[in-house]
This record gives sequence, C-alpha cells and structure tokens, in this order.
Amino acid sequence: MLFGNSYKLGALVALGCILLTSGCSRMATPESFFELSPTYNQDKALQTRFFDTSNHGELVSASAAVLQDLGFQIEESEVDVGLLRAVKERSAREWGQEIARTFLMMLGMVGGKVILLPVDLQQQISATLTVSPVNDNPNRFGARIIFHRKIWKGDGYTGNGPILPGEWRLEMIDDKLIYQKFFYKLSKSIFLEAHQI
Amino acid sequence: MNKPYKIVILVLSVLLQSCVSGPKKPPENLLALTEAQLKIRSYQTKVFEVDDQMKAVRGVVQALQDLGFIVERVNGPMGMVTAGKFAGSGRSGFVELTVIVRAKGEVRTEIRVNALFNTAPIEDPKIYQNFFRVVQRSLFVSG
Repeated sequence: MLFGNSYKLGALVALGCILLTSGCSRMATPESFFELSPTYNQDKALQTRFFDTSNHGELVSASAAVLQDLGFQIEESEVDVGLLRAVKERSAREWGQEIARTFLMMLGMVGGKVILLPVDLQQQISATLTVSPVNDNPNRFGARIIFHRKIWKGDGYTGNGPILPGEWRLEMIDDKLIYQKFFYKLSKSIFLEAHQI
Repeated sequence: MNKPYKIVILVLSVLLQSCVSGPKKPPENLLALTEAQLKIRSYQTKVFEVDDQMKAVRGVVQALQDLGFIVERVNGPMGMVTAGKFAGSGRSGFVELTVIVRAKGEVRTEIRVNALFNTAPIEDPKIYQNFFRVVQRSLFVSG
C-alpha cells in the first residue's frame, strides 16, 4: 500500500516536472516583447533597399503606385513621416489542405465518425512601407516594406460537434521573391537603382 | 426567537441596507494620480537628445519594425504612433502600444510609451527599458 502511494506520488511529480519543463521551453517571457529577435538583421536586409534621391515624397508616391499595380488598396498615408499602409484580399484555399481534409473525412467515415478539418478560406495581405533618410543624409533614403497576412478559416466538424467558421491567425510573409519583386518594380518605376544593405 | 422570524429579519435588513446605500458612486479618486501611477509613468517616459520631433517619430517607427510590430497608425505632427504584434506563449497573446513623441525644449524630445498585453497594462520597468534601448539604437546607430 505504502509502495503504491509513493509510486503514484512519484508519477505525479514526474508528470508535473514534464509539464513545467515543456511549458518553460515554449513560454516567451514578457521581457522578450521588446527584444530584437536573432534574425532581425536578415529580416531588415530583406525588407529594406536604399535609393540615391533627394525627393522622399516621390519615393513614397512611386511606392504607392507600385502597390496599386500589385492590386493593393492604400489605407493610410503619412508623407511627412514617410509611411504607407495598403491591403488586398485574396482566396487562401490550398490544394494540400483540401486533400488533407478529404483524406481525414474518408478515414473518419471508415471509423464511423465524420471529421471535417477546417481549411483556410480568405486572406488579407497587408503591406506597411516606411521611407526615411539614411544617416540624416538628405540625398539617400531607405525604403522598408513589411508584408504580413491575416488568414480566416472556414467551418468544420470534430465528430461530436461543429467547428464554427471565423477563426483567424496572423503570419509575417518572409518569402524573398515577393520582396525582390516589389523593389525591382519600385526601382523601375523611379528609374533609380535599389541598393541592398 | 423562531427560525422563520430570524430569516425574515435578515432578509428585511438586507433589503433596507440596499435602499439606504442606493446606486454605487464611482470612487472619488478615479482620476487621481496615485504614487504607483507616477512611478509607472516614469518607466514609460524617456528623454532623448534629438532636436527634431519628426526624426524621433521615424526612429520610433523603425524601432517598432525592428521589433516585429505592425505599425497601425502614425500622426507625424501630433507625434503619435500605434502598433501591435502577437507574442507570448505560442503567439497566442497580443501586445499593443501607443507612443507619444513631444518636443521638450529646443534640443530634446520626450518619448512616452503605454503598452498593453492582452488588454492588461504592462507595468514591468524592464520591458520599457528594453523598448527604449531599441529606440536609442534606432535613433543613434546608423543603418
């Protein structure tokens, strides 16, 4: 009896330790909210290009024109600070998710329980662009653009009850090609060469 | 005294009490500055040797972008920036902040930030120190 109790206690302590350590490994401390990430330099290099121009207003308006060409709607502009915010909405449906949903549904039907995995339906892609002088040099400006997207999921079924649609998540877009394409179009638009960091 | 009488008296006294006190008034010190609030304000504020308010606003925006924040709104003349980002365990929480940049004299600029995590105010001074370290880097380090 005594052995049984101590065995249970040991198992509980071990379980608690596992839960605590797994929690610690994933938990981001609040202090880290305002700390630079280890990939900050690479991210900045990807998102930034320098242009030798003295007309920062022209750089902002050319960026707005490129974003319009790419199907974005300008939502906010603050030329004094050099900020633009633009958005566009597109479908977020992907073949991979549809196949996984169908496969799981068929597997569930064999087991006698229908499971419908919610898939991504719609996405809003946002671009935030800032233009600012480099080292207070009035003839050299840096343009930095950050793309991110908000994705909404559709409905589903757990086997016991429905999963309501509307769940969403936010993702930063870090595909090199997207940033390269934007800056290529921007440099073409203002007839200036875009310099990397 | 019988038990039913006791219950009736208890109920009546509770009812009477509620009649006397009436609707609750907001506390008189609702908008008063407490010592704790003054302390938090001191953590949230820092003065930089920058003589141009617009330059300070640009520096704040750059710092926020470096930290992975999504800048939502900027008002240059007012010196206001609002931004947010997902953070915390499994990126399940949301950090949002408002920064106000004001000229303090002719050669200095005061930056004040209020940050919330899941709508609760952040009161840890270390968090604000980290923020101002990144702003300082953005204002005075080239690139």
